[in-house]
Amino acid sequence: MSAAQVTVDPDLCIGSAECVRILPSGFQIDESRGVSVPQPAVSAAVLELLADVVRSCPTGAVRVVDAQGNAL
Amino acid sequence: MSDDGLLTEFTATIEFDTYEDIRAALFDPNLSRSFDKRSYEEGNIRSGIVSIAHGAVHRARRRVENTQFRADVLRLYERDLFPRVMNELLDVLIDRERVDLFPIGEMLSVVLAARRAGIEYDAASLDDLRTLVRHVDAFSQGSAILDAKDPDAVRALVRATYAEFERDFVRPAWATRAALIERARRGELSEEELPHDILTILLLHRDDPQMALEDDARIVREVATYLQGGTHTSAQTLVNALDLVFETGDEYPRTIDRIVSDTLFAQRVVQETLRLRPTTPKMKRRAEADTEVAGRKIPKDAVVVLDVVAANRDQRLFGADPERFDPDRTIDGSVQRWGLSFGGGPHQCPGRAVGGGFPVPADFSAEDDHVFGLVALELQAVARRGVRPDETAAPERDLRTARFTRWLHYPVRFTSLPGARPVEDDLRRALG
Repeated sequence: MSAAQVTVDPDLCIGSAECVRILPSGFQIDESRGVSVPQPAVSAAVLELLADVVRSCPTGAVRVVDAQGNAL
Repeated sequence: MSDDGLLTEFTATIEFDTYEDIRAALFDPNLSRSFDKRSYEEGNIRSGIVSIAHGAVHRARRRVENTQFRADVLRLYERDLFPRVMNELLDVLIDRERVDLFPIGEMLSVVLAARRAGIEYDAASLDDLRTLVRHVDAFSQGSAILDAKDPDAVRALVRATYAEFERDFVRPAWATRAALIERARRGELSEEELPHDILTILLLHRDDPQMALEDDARIVREVATYLQGGTHTSAQTLVNALDLVFETGDEYPRTIDRIVSDTLFAQRVVQETLRLRPTTPKMKRRAEADTEVAGRKIPKDAVVVLDVVAANRDQRLFGADPERFDPDRTIDGSVQRWGLSFGGGPHQCPGRAVGGGFPVPADFSAEDDHVFGLVALELQAVARRGVRPDETAAPERDLRTARFTRWLHYPVRFTSLPGARPVEDDLRRALG
């Protein structure tokens, strides 16, 4: 469990949905805007998966800060 | 830059050849794919397409177009539509012991690429499929124009092909979709009932000024881009995969047997092939402004060359023998098995999961919702039909481009042939 702060920059996101593939309970695509929106469950996701999300996002739109305040 | 907007002289040429540096370059917002700023009328055959768009227009297009690559759509294609279409087509196309595999790979891939792009064709007509493959070949030369040996000839070919493609395939589909969209706007249909394809969503969103689609011809070129992208890489990867398998000499029958019995292994063969034989061995970017990547200063209007072949053979990431074809190699989960062959950053290939599937988990296990990718299914299907090298005919590379991973012809033998079947009935049942 991570208690991480997770944000998606809607100006950068292009709706590739890599985050949804890796963490389907943590992200959803808002199809009206074509961008990803973090869901409440995301803050409880394991850090390893969140790191995978950050690495896989093609635009660097996902930002994760762990409980100690460190950006992944 | 030349006076007419085509960048041919650069302030500097800067090359990167390590995985981390190339990845950093792919994410740099100051590096674009726009080498030709001219309009279509002035000679830029790729004017306005998503592949070379930059900034806000690129983001707006991708947000809309990425909807056609959602996981549920990929699963529908992979589990329902494609196996049926593929097997029916293979039964028709493998009609003798010795055949050329490359056009067969193109025919298999173009069926679903056309469906995703949103064009209409006669589902019972091999001639229509062959025409589409011919168009894809022209568009593929256009997409590789930076590496073309005769760019002016490519421009002329692509312009003529756009006109034919628009007349025969796009306009009929456009009329159908425009009428359906009009009905949806009148409340007679829900948007869910509209076709799910690139042409439809472009027509639905073309009034958004950020999409920059006011010109009809841009929509035609965008649809052509998706048709080409969905066909060419898959067909080349299928052939490259078999070429690498056959290169293992006495080992290849065992590898073919594993492909037949294990779809996840077939997928690893495909992803290993993508790593060793990237469709674009050297990607190029243009500096829109002064920038810095991996500590190196890059002046405005420099060309940045990204040596993907070298990065994909980095021993630190892919092991001590990165040149070897080894679908079972151990790779850290933070690195994709295909390396950087699908690019990265905002221009990462939108169809990467269509052809290559989802990343293969490090422990070689697959969840029920895993997507294996269409090329793995194609590879498995030809393996099941007993594909073998054809010792009597030599494969022929595509020498019209400097990209060494491209083929024109790849003769193979098949040991298992279907009985003679009526072509039109087969295709109508499969595609209709």
